[in-house]
Amino acid sequence: MPSRAEDIMKGFKLNWMNLRDADSGKILWQSSDDLSSPGVEHEARVPKKILKCRAVSREINFSSKEAMDKFRLEQKVLFKGKCLEEWLFEFGFVIPGSTNTWQSVIEAAPESQMMPANVLNGNVVIETRFYDDAVLVSTSKVRIFYV
Amino acid sequence: MGLLALLRKLKSSGDKELRILLLGLDNAGKTTLLKSLASEDISHITPTQGFNIKTVQSAGFRLNVWDIGGQRKIRPYWKNYFENTDVLIYVIDSSDRKRFEETGEELGELLEEPKLSGVPLLVYANKQDLQHSAKASEVSEGLNLNTIRDRVWQIQACSALTNEGVREGMDWAMKNISSKGKKK
Repeated sequence: MPSRAEDIMKGFKLNWMNLRDADSGKILWQSSDDLSSPGVEHEARVPKKILKCRAVSREINFSSKEAMDKFRLEQKVLFKGKCLEEWLFEFGFVIPGSTNTWQSVIEAAPESQMMPANVLNGNVVIETRFYDDAVLVSTSKVRIFYV
Repeated sequence: MGLLALLRKLKSSGDKELRILLLGLDNAGKTTLLKSLASEDISHITPTQGFNIKTVQSAGFRLNVWDIGGQRKIRPYWKNYFENTDVLIYVIDSSDRKRFEETGEELGELLEEPKLSGVPLLVYANKQDLQHSAKASEVSEGLNLNTIRDRVWQIQACSALTNEGVREGMDWAMKNISSKGKKK
């Protein structure tokens, strides 16, 4: 018989992800359907102007067949493998058969500290790990290209 | 301009992490409200089959707004999301008079929840853009809000569609988060 952790992993699906200009609410990038295939590094082609936004939001949508009690995520923004930013978020309970979204809004660094697009291009990875308590349920990696 | 601006005003509050819980029947407009607050497109919203969370962070403070689906089959799960709530926002479709009784009962049950005891309550009388909608005063009367004695509460007429009244309600919510923080 499969373990509960296996059931949870099997029933978990990352549906989509997007990036918005948090001031205007406009979507600057939205993932395609392939985001759900696990173990693959996905690529996002994001307009350069995102670097000029005062605040950006990242939104993530996922489904779970199984209930979870201590669901949480860790999201890291990595530049050449070095962590620039880290988010920890505790969801707690996840309803069985549910589809859910989590959106985080962050203020941009002051323009003077912002690295230019050509330096960042292809070197930034958003890595999101989903856990139920200590069990790793899913990992997603998206490499960002500024176009 | 949305939650980030609201959060910036709050820096005097003692809490580092704040939680707003958004509840109400299905089709009340909870998700539309949340998205309209962030100026997002509201033309393709479908019934929430779980939760939608918006988290904003500024200068070490974090505000989390939890919008939980209101369908009958989801309501039994609401209780999983009560803990540590700083403000309860209850959304009502003011045009759906047939369901005033049902929404009143759900709200009544929430107000009796120990985990929500004393939590400030904001009721949005939503969908004021529809001509036949009940006025806030009528909703308030229908739900007997005047009998609430164990917490601060407010009713705010609004339209998530046109954004009217939404900001006023959130301003009230943020003010009352601060006052709760001081009591702790």
